[in-house]
Amino acid sequence: MNQNHLPPFTLDGKNIIITGASSGIGKACAIECSKVGAKLLLIGRNKARLENSISLLHGSGHFYLILDLSNTNEIVEIIKLTIQDFKPIHGFIHCAGIENTIPLQFMNEKKYSDFFNINVIAGFEIAKCISKKPYYIDGLSIVFISSVMGFLGQEGKIAYSASKGALIAGAKSMAIEMVKKSIRVNTISPAIIETEMVKNMFANIPSSSIETIKKLHPMGFGKPEDIAFACIYLLSNAAKWITGTNLIVDGGYSAK
Amino acid sequence: MKRQEFYLKLADALEITSTTLSSNTILSDIDEYDSMGVMGIIAFVDENFDVKLNAKQIASITDLDSLINLIGLGKIEE
Repeated sequence: MNQNHLPPFTLDGKNIIITGASSGIGKACAIECSKVGAKLLLIGRNKARLENSISLLHGSGHFYLILDLSNTNEIVEIIKLTIQDFKPIHGFIHCAGIENTIPLQFMNEKKYSDFFNINVIAGFEIAKCISKKPYYIDGLSIVFISSVMGFLGQEGKIAYSASKGALIAGAKSMAIEMVKKSIRVNTISPAIIETEMVKNMFANIPSSSIETIKKLHPMGFGKPEDIAFACIYLLSNAAKWITGTNLIVDGGYSAK
Repeated sequence: MKRQEFYLKLADALEITSTTLSSNTILSDIDEYDSMGVMGIIAFVDENFDVKLNAKQIASITDLDSLINLIGLGKIEE
C-alpha cells in the first residue's frame, strides 16, 4: 500500500512485529497499534496469554508466534519462516525483556547472559532478519524498549541497566548502518510503568521503598499505553526524520 | 546446608564476619542490613535454596531462626 497519502500518525496498512506482546507494555503496544490500523504479528512464550492479546486487538489479519527468545540461535530461522506471508515488514517493537534486582555479589555469567539474550540480542537478531530483502520495505521503523535505567543508576540493577544501556548504544550504531536502507532505528526509555512485571518487583521490596520510588516520579508511575503511544509515533510516517534517538517517556523522572 | 555453612554464606552476603551470627541474631540490629542487605538476603536465599522471598516475608523476619523458618526448616541441617 502506498503510505504517502495517509495521515502522518496512522499505522494503517503497516505490518508490525511486537515481542513481549502477551503482557505489559508489549500488550498495550499491540492493542493501540491495532486501533490505528496496523496488522500485527505478536511474539511471546505463553499461548494462552498471546491468544488473550489477539482477542483484544482491533481489525483482522493478526496472528501470533510462540517463541522463547532466550534461545537466540534459533530466532532468525524461525522468524524468516513465520514472516513469509507477512512481509513486507513496516515496523518492529522489541518489548520482551526481563527485570530483576540482583546485587553485584550475586551476579554471574549465566545471569548476565540471561539479561542480554532477551533484552538485547533477541531484539538485534530479529532486526537483522527483517532488515534484509525481501522482508523490509523503505521506511521500516525499529523501536527497542529500553529504560531510564539504561542511562541512570540504581542499586541492584547492574545487569538490567547494562542491557538497557546496550540497547540505546547499539540502536544508535544500527541507525547509522541502516540509513542507506531507509530504515529508522530508535529506542524508548520509560521509567516505571504499572505492569505485572513491576508488580512482581514491588512484591520483593518494602512498601516504604515503593513510596520512595513513587516520589521520584513527578507525574506518578506511567501506564502501558503511555509507551504504546510513543511507539506509534516512532513507527508512523510522522517520525520519518527521526532515527538513532532515545525518546525518554518517564513522567519527569530523569528531569530532576 | 549445614547451619554453620548457612551462617558463613549469609555473613558473606551481608559482608560481615560470620562469628557475629547466631540463631538469635536480630537482623535489624546489623548495620549492614540496609536496602542492599535486604537485596543480598533475597538473592542469597534464592540462589542457595530456590526460595523467593516477598516483601511481606522479608518484613516478618526478626532473628535468623525466623529466616530459617521461611526458607524451610528441613533445608538447614544441624
